[in-house]
Amino acid sequence: MIDAFYEGLLLVLQWKTLAFMSLGIVLGFWVGLLPGLGGATTLALMLPFIYTMQPVQAFAFLLGMHAVVATTGDITSVLFGVPGEGTSAATILDGHAMAKKGEAGRALGAALTSSLVGAIVGAFALALAVPVVRPVVLTFGSPELFMLAIVGLAFIASLSSQGGRGMLRGFLAGGLGLLCATVGQDPQAGVARFTFDALYLWQGLELVPVLVGIFAIPEIVGLVVRRTSIAGAVPAGKLNQGAWEGVKDTFRHFWLTIRCSLIGTFIGIMPGMGGAIAQWMAYGHATQSARNAEERKGFGAGDVRGVLGPGAANNSKEGGALIPTVAFGVPGSSAMAILLGGFFLLGLVPGPDMLTTHLSVTFSMVWTIVLANIITVLVCFAFLNKLAKLTAVRGALLIPVILVLVFIGSYTATNHYGDILVMLLFGGIGYLMVLGGWPRAPFVLGLVLGKIAENYLYISIARYEAAWLTRPVVLVLMALTLGVVLYPLYQSRRAGVKKAAHA
Amino acid sequence: MHSKASLTLALGIMAVSAYAIVAAWAWPLKAALFPLAIAGPLFCLAAAEALWGIFGAAPAGEVRDFRLSTELPREEARRRTLVALAWILGFFAAIVLLGFPYAVPLLVFLYVKLQGRESWPLSIVLTLAVWAVFYGLFDRLLHLPFAAGWLFAFLR
Repeated sequence: MIDAFYEGLLLVLQWKTLAFMSLGIVLGFWVGLLPGLGGATTLALMLPFIYTMQPVQAFAFLLGMHAVVATTGDITSVLFGVPGEGTSAATILDGHAMAKKGEAGRALGAALTSSLVGAIVGAFALALAVPVVRPVVLTFGSPELFMLAIVGLAFIASLSSQGGRGMLRGFLAGGLGLLCATVGQDPQAGVARFTFDALYLWQGLELVPVLVGIFAIPEIVGLVVRRTSIAGAVPAGKLNQGAWEGVKDTFRHFWLTIRCSLIGTFIGIMPGMGGAIAQWMAYGHATQSARNAEERKGFGAGDVRGVLGPGAANNSKEGGALIPTVAFGVPGSSAMAILLGGFFLLGLVPGPDMLTTHLSVTFSMVWTIVLANIITVLVCFAFLNKLAKLTAVRGALLIPVILVLVFIGSYTATNHYGDILVMLLFGGIGYLMVLGGWPRAPFVLGLVLGKIAENYLYISIARYEAAWLTRPVVLVLMALTLGVVLYPLYQSRRAGVKKAAHA
Repeated sequence: MHSKASLTLALGIMAVSAYAIVAAWAWPLKAALFPLAIAGPLFCLAAAEALWGIFGAAPAGEVRDFRLSTELPREEARRRTLVALAWILGFFAAIVLLGFPYAVPLLVFLYVKLQGRESWPLSIVLTLAVWAVFYGLFDRLLHLPFAAGWLFAFLR
C-alpha cells in the first residue's frame, strides 16, 4: 500500500500529467470565479477531451479542475456577496460581512487556507477510509439518509438566529425551501406539481438562479442605497494587510477547521447529499463553537469562524465523495456521477479493482486533489491583497459589473428567460428576508435537501411502512434532532435567568 | 419596516402553503405526501409568526445574516431602494427587448454615466472593457446561446 501511495505521487509528478493538471486548474479557477458556471457542468463539457489521455492524466485534468472550483468560488462570495458556486454560498454570510468591515484580505486568507486544510483532510480520508467506510455506508439506508437530511435542516434552522421566535423563522425559511423543492415533475407519480402549465418549471427550480437571487440582489440593493464601496469608509491601507491574518486564523481555530473538514468528508461520502449541504452543516457547527450568546451574535456580522467552517467542508467533501465513487461505483454527488462516466470512458471499472490492480491510480487522485489545491492557494495568495482592494472600488463602478454577472450567471443555468425571472423573484424574497431579519441559510438548505429528502421518505415508507421510525440509527438521529432544537432554547433560557439574577 | 417585511413574509408563506395543500389534495398520494407533510406544519408555523408579528408579544432574536444599513433616514433609504429596483428591472427589460449583447453595454454605460456621474472617458472605457469580457468569454469562447431581443425578432 505504501508503495502504491508513493507510486501515485510519482505518476502525478510526470511532466505530462502535471501539464494536464495545470490546464485543469486554470479552467477550474475561472469556472469557480464565474457565478452560474458550475463545476459539474464544466466536468461534463471536458469529458470528451479525455479519450486520448492515460487514466492518471485524465483524472489529473478532471480532478485538478474540479478540486479548485470550490476554492475560487469562495472569492466572489467574500468580495461581492455573489456565490461563485452553489457550494460557496455559506461563505457569504460572514466572509462578505468581513469584506464590508474592510477585512476582505483576512476573509480570503482564511477561506483559502481552510480550503487547503479541508482538501488535504478529504484527500487523506480517501486514502485511509476505503476499507473502514464500507460497513458504515452500508448501514445507512433510506430511512437513515432521510433523518440525516432532517438533522441538517434542524441544525441550521435552530442555529441561524437566536431565541424562540428566531428559531421559528429559521424553521419557516427551511420549510419554504423544502416546499420550493417540490416544484416540478414528481419522481414517483410523474405529476407536474406547482408548474402553472409552464414547461420551464417541469424540471423544478434551478439552484443557481435561486441562490444568486436570494444572496446577490439584497447585497446590490444595499450597495446602491449606501452609495459607497463594499468596504465603505474603511481606510484603503487596511484592506491589503489581512491575508496573513486569515492564515493565522485557520491555525488559531485549527480543530474547528479539522472538525468541519471531517463533516464535509462525511457528507461527501453519503450518496446524494452533496457539497451544498456540507457547507451549511459546517457553518452550523461553526456557530455552535461560540461559547456564549454574545459571541454567537458575531456570526453573520463577520466572524472568521463562519468562513473557516464552510471553506474547509467545501473542499474536504471532494475526497469524501470520491470514496463511494471509487470503491463501490456509487457517486456521492452529480460531479462524481460525471466523473464515473470518465472511469468508463477510460476503460476502468470502479470497485475492488480500483483498490487492488489500479491502487496507484486511486492514490494519484489523492495526490491530484492535494497538489491542485496547494498550487491554487499559492497562486491566489500572490494576488490576494490586490483582489481585496476590489472592495474599495466605488459602488457606481462595481454595481453594473456585478449586475451583469448576476444576470448572465442566472441565465446560464438553462439559457431561458425563466432563469432570470426566478432570480428576480427569489431576489425579492431574499430582500424581504434580510429586511425582516429572517435567516436565509435554512431556506437554501431546505431547497437543496428537498428532493433528496422526498425520495428517501418515499422509499422508507414504501419499503418499511411505519417500521422505519423504529430503526436504531433513525432513533439516534431523531434524538439528535430534538437535542439540536432544544439545546439553544435551553441555553437562551438559562442566559435569561442569569441576566435577571444579575439585574 | 422590519415588522412589515416579516408580516408580509409570514402572510405570503401562509398563502403559498394553503395553496399547496389545496393543490396537493387532487394528486395521487405518492405525489402529494411530501408537499402535504411540509405545507401543513408550514401553514401553522407561519400563522404563529403572523400572530406574533401582529400582537408583538416577543421580539425576534438577532439573526446570523447580512443586515441592511440603518444609517440613512427612512425616506431617503426608501427612495434609493426604489432606484436600485428600477435599475434591476430596467436591465431585465433591456435584456428581453434587446438581448444580452446590446443590453450589457447599454446598462454599464447608462449606470456609470447617469447613476454614478462618472466622467465620459471612464464610462466609455469601463463599458468597452465589460463588453469585451462578455463578448470574448461568454459569446466567442463558451458559445452561450443568448437569445435575440424581442424587438429585433419583431422587426425581422
